[in-house]
Amino acid sequence: MIASIRETQKKYCSRAMAIAIFVGLAFIMAGQKGIGKGLILGTLFSVLNFILMGEMLPFKMNASRTRASVFSLVFILFRYGLMAIPLILALKLEQFNLPAAVAGIFLVQITILGESLINFILPNRRNQL
Amino acid sequence: MGFGAIGAAVGEGYTAAQANAALSRDPENAGGIFKSMLVGQAIAESASIFALVVAMILLFSDFSNGSYVTVAALFGAGLAMGFGAIGSGVGSGFPAGAACVGLARQPAISGKLTTNMLIGSAVCQTPSIFAMVTAFILLFSDFSQSPVNPTWAAVLGAGLASGLGAIGSGIGGGSVAEASSEGVARQPGALTTVTNVMLLGQAITQTPAILALLVSFILIFKSYPATGAIAPAMALLASGLCMGIGAIGPGIGEGIASSGGVRWIARNSSIAGDLTRTMLVGMAVAESTAIYSMVIALVLIFVV
Repeated sequence: MIASIRETQKKYCSRAMAIAIFVGLAFIMAGQKGIGKGLILGTLFSVLNFILMGEMLPFKMNASRTRASVFSLVFILFRYGLMAIPLILALKLEQFNLPAAVAGIFLVQITILGESLINFILPNRRNQL
Repeated sequence: MGFGAIGAAVGEGYTAAQANAALSRDPENAGGIFKSMLVGQAIAESASIFALVVAMILLFSDFSNGSYVTVAALFGAGLAMGFGAIGSGVGSGFPAGAACVGLARQPAISGKLTTNMLIGSAVCQTPSIFAMVTAFILLFSDFSQSPVNPTWAAVLGAGLASGLGAIGSGIGGGSVAEASSEGVARQPGALTTVTNVMLLGQAITQTPAILALLVSFILIFKSYPATGAIAPAMALLASGLCMGIGAIGPGIGEGIASSGGVRWIARNSSIAGDLTRTMLVGMAVAESTAIYSMVIALVLIFVV
């Protein structure tokens, strides 16, 4: 069970990070350093959020109801706090572009949806998740 | 952020509850069910991350030079995104939950089921994207040349229209996607038909949110003469409330009508034409109340 969660995380996180680095470097080389750095920063925290979500799932499923509820609430607050960091940095520091950081924090979701869309459009490519 | 978190929490909770049901049915397939739950929850969370983005901009940007209209616009932006994220968060949880249960029933079609679930969940996010667009327009528009009265009410009304109007469509879209995931799990052979009808149903379910977006754009971009009277301002605020609240019921109702169509097409795709027609007629009737709300909202803007 844990192995399959890790496999899913590895798949989407590595793809999201690869896209961010590739696109970010292209922007940096084109002289748009803020956009490149913002995108990579946002994606880094998006990946971190997705990893934390997956890592805590088995714990929540195995804990008692009260413990799982309290832990989930605290953990959600922690994850949102974490996701706020790239946004605050982008708002406060000139070197990070805000729209790029916003795009970055959605890159894991974009990767998941993008893969599904490709599988839907090209059914022959469809494989098991 | 507070309102936005409600939707994501409910949606994610529903997914987890359904994942438990699925695990109980098929403990051998725990890995696949957990994967589906994780991916579904990640998508369900998107709407609340939109809310987080708007909340951070509101907290950490410098708006010190703004007028009273800017104050109302910022409040409107917060309300738009907060309310707007509720429906999408709740709605996205439905297909994720149904996919977990479906996976326990049909582990062999996990790829098809996940694709169907993710497409349904993605469409559920559109009302919250409409709300985010309104929030950004309110955040970054320059209202310094606009008269304080009645523009303050117009921008506040715009936020309420767009935010409240997104709730029903988000939940309704989720109901349709849930029925689709359930249908694919029952009848994998009907995948294409079910997915196409799901997309049609979800597209129509979004129309109340689109009408709300239209009213909020009119409220934001129409120019108003300065006035000392309170009635025009109240009419504009009421217009936003009228459209926003009026769009909740049709969004959910159309989702129920469409989910019925999708569910039964999956079970009997040989009469897909008849079922789709019945579904569309039901949705059109449910839509009428959103149109009445829009008419009253427009009367309040242009006549009162």
